[in-house]
Amino acid sequence: MAEIVFDRVVKTYAGGVTAVSDLSLTVAEGEFMVLVGPSGCGKTTALRMVAGLEEITDGTVAIGGTVVNNVLPKDRDIAMVFQNYALYPQMTVGQNMGFALKVRNVPKAEIDRRVREAAQILRLTEYLDRRPKALSGGQRQRVAMGRAIVREPRAFLMDEPLSNLDAQLRVEMRTEITRIQRMLGVATIYVTHDQTEAMTMGDRVAVMRNGVLHQVAAPQDLYDHPVNEFVAGFIGSPPMNLIVAGLAEEAGEWVVRIGDQSFVLPRSYRASHRLAPFVGGRVVFGIRPEDLSLATGEEGVRLAAVVELREALGSEKLAYLSFGADEGIVESETPTDDGAPLRRRSRVVARLGARADVAEGQHVTMSLNDAHFHFFDPDTGDTLRHAAP
Amino acid sequence: MTVMAVVMLYPFAVMIVTSFKSQAQYFAGSGTSTQSWRQLASTMPIYQQLLNSTIVCSASIALILVVGVMAGFAFAKLQYRFANLIFLGIVSAMMVPLQSIIMPEFVNVARFGLTSSYLGAVLVYAALGTPFSIFLFTTYFRRVPDELVEAGICDGLGYWGVLWRLALPMALPAIATVTVLQFIQIWDDLLVGLLFLQNPAERPITVGLAALAAGRTTSIPLLMAGSLVSALPAMLVYLGFQRFLVRGLTLGIDR
Repeated sequence: MAEIVFDRVVKTYAGGVTAVSDLSLTVAEGEFMVLVGPSGCGKTTALRMVAGLEEITDGTVAIGGTVVNNVLPKDRDIAMVFQNYALYPQMTVGQNMGFALKVRNVPKAEIDRRVREAAQILRLTEYLDRRPKALSGGQRQRVAMGRAIVREPRAFLMDEPLSNLDAQLRVEMRTEITRIQRMLGVATIYVTHDQTEAMTMGDRVAVMRNGVLHQVAAPQDLYDHPVNEFVAGFIGSPPMNLIVAGLAEEAGEWVVRIGDQSFVLPRSYRASHRLAPFVGGRVVFGIRPEDLSLATGEEGVRLAAVVELREALGSEKLAYLSFGADEGIVESETPTDDGAPLRRRSRVVARLGARADVAEGQHVTMSLNDAHFHFFDPDTGDTLRHAAP
Repeated sequence: MTVMAVVMLYPFAVMIVTSFKSQAQYFAGSGTSTQSWRQLASTMPIYQQLLNSTIVCSASIALILVVGVMAGFAFAKLQYRFANLIFLGIVSAMMVPLQSIIMPEFVNVARFGLTSSYLGAVLVYAALGTPFSIFLFTTYFRRVPDELVEAGICDGLGYWGVLWRLALPMALPAIATVTVLQFIQIWDDLLVGLLFLQNPAERPITVGLAALAAGRTTSIPLLMAGSLVSALPAMLVYLGFQRFLVRGLTLGIDR
């Protein structure tokens, strides 16, 4: 077991494309770290640099305190699980799992013992003599896991290992991988673009975009306190509602204006957020879909809305609302540090109970949970919340 | 299909029937005899020539396979400068007809004093067969997922290890294809054997047959018997590997 440390790692490909930019990240011993982000964000490149499958342009990667920039992949003592499993088709399941040990000249009896142990953990014992093509997708995925487990490596690297499975199997394997990782306690880097996997599996989640690491935090922390609009919009399904709003001072109170409606901002936000410079101007107001509900009384923050679309998902209903603000996509005027302008959709989605009585075209009054407001700088997209002490 | 089968099989039927006649019976058009088969071994050193063909074929194919596998893997899985250009150059060599380069080849080989040993012919056959072999193995190894190579590397192999322990066992259809096609081509070739194997003791079977046909009086039944003996190994190899051949030849087509 060992910790993995990225220290100002840069990966630039021939032609000048920078895939990973100044990445600093520490994965502690036994930690399950999930790298998440949209396609092309550099998460897989970062993983492959740990494996030794990509050269590091600048900075260092250390495993167990040793810088491995110039160490061959075979000498890094890491095991990798690939997206398409990469099982050796000419070998049986048992041979696949024991191959790395055979290459390292481990005695046959020891190989057999470790393969049987891993097969038992993964419930593969009865398939040990089969070839990969005779297995289902889920079984192949477990063999790929088994191949990593028998190595007893210092770190596991997993590159979207569940993306080829159907939805139901993916949920099963999600818990299976988490269980095994907890049991073995080996530092693990898990790459995915699926934020549900990230939230459910990781001890901590690192969110990347365009080669830049935006935030590393425990899943709930990431959800509750996103550092910028990108993280706020990426984590959560449906994502956080982000609305360009006005912020004004009226009779000593700070008032948030959305379209032609407004509400008084609770005073606690003056202390917790750096809002003062934006009074008299604009901010980006964020609220999670579950923090919007149909108003039942006259108390609290309330806004009138029109239901534009309703999606009944069985266990819940999603209501797409218009608060009367400008429709369409609003882009910030200045690009963020990674070059992409911020995009904010003015339509708002609310997560309502399964029995909520809403219909398309209906005028409703929504209650906003004023304990979970988010505010972002309209130009940079960064959160206006003060960092926790 | 039946018409095609008749067209293809008729020459073999004629060869077999004719070989079981004496010269006189052949001209008379009736009767059977094993005379030409008994004459075959005494008229030409057929066993030695079969052995010569086997040696030249085996050595050439071995060389073609070794070079083809290694170059194919390198073109498909390693990244280096000008790889595509070099690959294009090698594949273009497949289009050069043997006859157009046979004279300079002969001069070169003769200068090295290799026209009276197996080596000269083996090198020429290998040089002619390698471009196709490289093309086929490159196509084959390109179909092997990169992740498989990377999994091997993470499991502790170097590129050599990946090639010999992972990629090669998966390339058996391609190996069979190259082996069959090159065997048929080399075994049936006359020109290279005639020019580059000038020592009579090292002549292959095709040159022996040509000598049989070039005599002042040619015995057609004897020639048919010799031709059958000559054709048999190529036919057996083809039939034995036919299954792999189809798979190997469609490598670049299906996905």
